[in-house]
Amino acid sequence: MKYFLGISGYFHDSSIALLDSDGNLIDFKKEEYLSRVKGDKSFPRLALQEMIKNFNLCEDNIEQVTFYEKPFKAWLNILKYSIKNNSLKNELTRNYFKNIWKSSIVFSYDLSKYLKVSNKKILYCDHHLSHTLSGAFYNVNAPITSIVIDGFGDESTSSIHHIKSLKEINNVWSSPFPHSIGLFYSSITDYLGFSVNEGEYKVMGLAAYGQPKYYDAISKTIFFKDGKLIIDDKYYDYCRSIKRSYSEKLKELFDIKERESNQPLDIESPDFKEYADIASSAQKIVENILKEIFLYANKITGESRFIFSGGVAMNSVAINQLTKLDFIKEIIIPPSPGDSGAAIGAAYYGYLNKNGFKKNLKTENNNILTPGFIKNKTTDEDFFLTSYVKVANKENLIEMAAELIAENQVIATCYQNIETGPRALGHRSMICSAHSIAAVESLNQKIKKRSKFRPVAPVTLTENANKYFLLSDKIYQSYFHMGAVAEVLNSKTIEAVVHKDNTSRVQLCDESQILGKILMKLKKHNIDVLANTSFNISSDPMVYSLEDAYLAVERMNIKYLLTENGIYKKKDE
Amino acid sequence: MFLQPDKKGSLYNTLVEFGYAEYGSALEMLAAAKMAESPRLKVGYINHALDEYRHSKLIFEVLNNEVKRNKDTFKNEFKFIPQHVVSKGYVDKKNFLVEKLKLKNFVEFVYTNEFLAKDSFDTLIKRIGNADSLKILKQIASEEEGHADYSILTLNKIMAEEDRHWGFAKLFYNKKFPNSNLNVAFKKEKIKNKLRLFYFKNVLFLNKIFDPIINVLILVFGKIPLLLKTNSSLSKNLMNDKTNSII
Repeated sequence: MKYFLGISGYFHDSSIALLDSDGNLIDFKKEEYLSRVKGDKSFPRLALQEMIKNFNLCEDNIEQVTFYEKPFKAWLNILKYSIKNNSLKNELTRNYFKNIWKSSIVFSYDLSKYLKVSNKKILYCDHHLSHTLSGAFYNVNAPITSIVIDGFGDESTSSIHHIKSLKEINNVWSSPFPHSIGLFYSSITDYLGFSVNEGEYKVMGLAAYGQPKYYDAISKTIFFKDGKLIIDDKYYDYCRSIKRSYSEKLKELFDIKERESNQPLDIESPDFKEYADIASSAQKIVENILKEIFLYANKITGESRFIFSGGVAMNSVAINQLTKLDFIKEIIIPPSPGDSGAAIGAAYYGYLNKNGFKKNLKTENNNILTPGFIKNKTTDEDFFLTSYVKVANKENLIEMAAELIAENQVIATCYQNIETGPRALGHRSMICSAHSIAAVESLNQKIKKRSKFRPVAPVTLTENANKYFLLSDKIYQSYFHMGAVAEVLNSKTIEAVVHKDNTSRVQLCDESQILGKILMKLKKHNIDVLANTSFNISSDPMVYSLEDAYLAVERMNIKYLLTENGIYKKKDE
Repeated sequence: MFLQPDKKGSLYNTLVEFGYAEYGSALEMLAAAKMAESPRLKVGYINHALDEYRHSKLIFEVLNNEVKRNKDTFKNEFKFIPQHVVSKGYVDKKNFLVEKLKLKNFVEFVYTNEFLAKDSFDTLIKRIGNADSLKILKQIASEEEGHADYSILTLNKIMAEEDRHWGFAKLFYNKKFPNSNLNVAFKKEKIKNKLRLFYFKNVLFLNKIFDPIINVLILVFGKIPLLLKTNSSLSKNLMNDKTNSII
C-alpha cells in the first residue's frame, strides 16, 4: 500500500490527513486531539507519530507529503505589506522577523525529525487551492466554482477558483491582505471580548439577539465594490499589532467600549443588548458581502454551483442567507472547511499530482468520520470500572440509550471514530431529548456551561425533518456532515433547540448512524429530535480517547457515558 | 512543571503563570495516564490531571477576583488562551515528560515538583494576604469581603490538594524506588525553577536589550524582502503550479 500525507499547521488547528493509493481518506487527525491543547498550531508531531505507528509509514510506502501552503510566500506577503505600510520598527514587522523560525518555513526541517522522506516527495500546495481541493475531494462534478474565504493564506484572503476539471482550476479572482472578511469578523470577536479563532461561533449566536444598528457605520469600513473587497485599515489593528485586532478608530463607531473578557455576558447582563447589536451588525455585513462575492463569482464564471470553504464557511447563518439567492443552485461545504480540513485538500493534491490529475475518486467511501481510530492497549475500557458500573453492553446499548433519553437523561458518547469536522455528529457528542426544556437546559448550561444565547443543535432522522424544519435543497449534504441553519416550521415541542431568530442548526441522520439508531428506538416514546452538542469542555478540544472521555465526564459531572462496548454509569449516582 | 512565585513582581502576572503551570501539569498527567497500562495507575494519573485542571481554572478565577477587587483593567494577557501553555513553555512541543523521562525520573519529577508546589502556594497565599491585608480588613464589612476571602480560601484549598498529591507521589516513589536518594533531584528541580523565574522576571528586560538590536538589523536588511518577488497565482491554472516551490 502506498500513502499520501497532507499536513496543515503553524497558524491554527494543525492537522494531518492520510489517503491510500486509491485516494480514500483512511486517517485524519488534528494535533489538538492528542496534545489536548485547543487550536494547537504546533507542527502536528503527535498526530504524525501515531500515524507512523499505526500504518508503518516510511520512505518506501509514502508517495507524497504535501504541505497545505507555500511557506515562504505566506510569510513574505504579510512582511512586505507590513514593511510598506508600517514603520520597519512596527511591532508586527518586528514580530515577523523575530518569529521566522516559528513559522511554516521550517516545515521540512520539522518533518524530518519524525519522518525521513526525500525532498522530491515533499510538495507545497497553494493555501486556497488546498481549501478548494478539500471541497472537491467530496464532490468532483466539474465545472463548478470554488469560493474560499478565510483570514489569510499565501497571498490572498479570499479567492474565486473556477474548476473546469481536476486538471484545470483557474484562480479568477482574489483579494489581497489586509482586505479580509475573516480578519474583520475576528476583530469584532476580539472587541466583544471573545478569543479570536474560537469565539466567532459566539458572535454568530449573539447576533440573533441584536439589531444591526451599526450596519451603516461599519459598512463604511469594509465593503465590496467593483469586484474588489475593500477594508479601511485605519479601523483594524490586525495589520499593525500583535496584541489586538481593532483600532481606537473602530471604538468610536460604537456606543459601548470593548468588553473585558472577564466580564460575564449573558442575556441578563446589563450591556448584553449593546454587544448583541454590534454582533448583529457585523453578521449582516458578512452576509451582504458574501452575497456580493457569490454574485460576482456567478458573473465571471457563469456557474451556479459552488464549493464554499475557508474559516468563514463555518458561518452557517450566513450560508442560510446565501441559499435564498435565486441564482445559486447548490453550495457544497466540506465537513471541515477550515485550515485543519485543508490538510485533506493538500493530501488530495499530492494524490492528483502523482496520478497526472486524471484519476477520479470514489468519493462515497470517504466517510465524514475519521476512519483511522485504531484500538491499542491504552483504549482498553477496564479502567472505567474503578468509578463506573456498566449498565448496558454492546448488544443492548442502543436500547438502553433510548430508555435513558426518554427519562430525560444526558448521555455523553465516545463511540468508534471521531468526526472529521468541527461538528460532533454523534460519535463525540452529548445528547438528550430536544423535547425536554429541562434536559436541554441541563445539558447546555449546567453540564456544558455555555451561555444561554448560544443555541443547541437538533438532530433528527431524515424522514422527520420536514415536520419541524424548512430545509434547503441547495445545501442538503451539509445537514448530514456538519449541520446547517434552517428555519423552524413547528417549534411547539422543540423550543429548547430553537434559536432566538426561529432557526436551528439542524443535523440529519439515517438509520445507519448511531444517533439514527437511537432515534429509531425513541419512536415509541414520541421523541423525534435529539439535542446534540460536542463532547468537550469550553477551552478544551473535543474528546478523542477513552482517557479524555473519562476525564471529561468527571469534570462535567455527567452521569452516563456511551462507548462502542456499552454504557457506563457513575458509581456514586 | 512548576514555578516559584515572584515575590516582588506583578501579582497578576504571577497568577497567570501559575494558572498555565497548573494547566501544563494537567496535560502532563493526562499524557502519563494514556501511557499507563495498569487501570489503577491510569485512573490515578487521570485523577491527578483532574485536580490540576481544576487548580488552573481556580487560579484564573482568583486572578479575575483580584482584578475586580482592585478595580483594575482586565488586560488581554490575563485571558486564558490554551495555546499559550505551549508558547510559554509549560508543555514541551517536542515531548511530554512521560515520553522523554525514564519511569524513575518521571516519578522523581512528580514527587519533587509536588513538594515545590506546596512551597510555592504557601508563598503566594502569604503574598495575597500581606499585600492586601489592609484592604481586606477595610472591605471586610463591604460587598467585597466575599471576594477577598475567596482568593485566600481558594488558594488554601488548592494547597491542600497539592499536599495530597505530594503525599501520594512520595508514597509511590518510596514504594517503587526504596533505596533512592532524592537530594540531587530536589536540587536539580530547584535550580530549574529558579532559572525559569529568572527568565520570566527578565524577559521584558531582555526585550529592551534585544529589540533595538533587532530594529537596527531590520533597518539594515528590512528592505530586502521588498525586492523579492513572489509568483502571483491570479489568472493562472493552479494545477500547473510548481509543486516543490515554497514561494
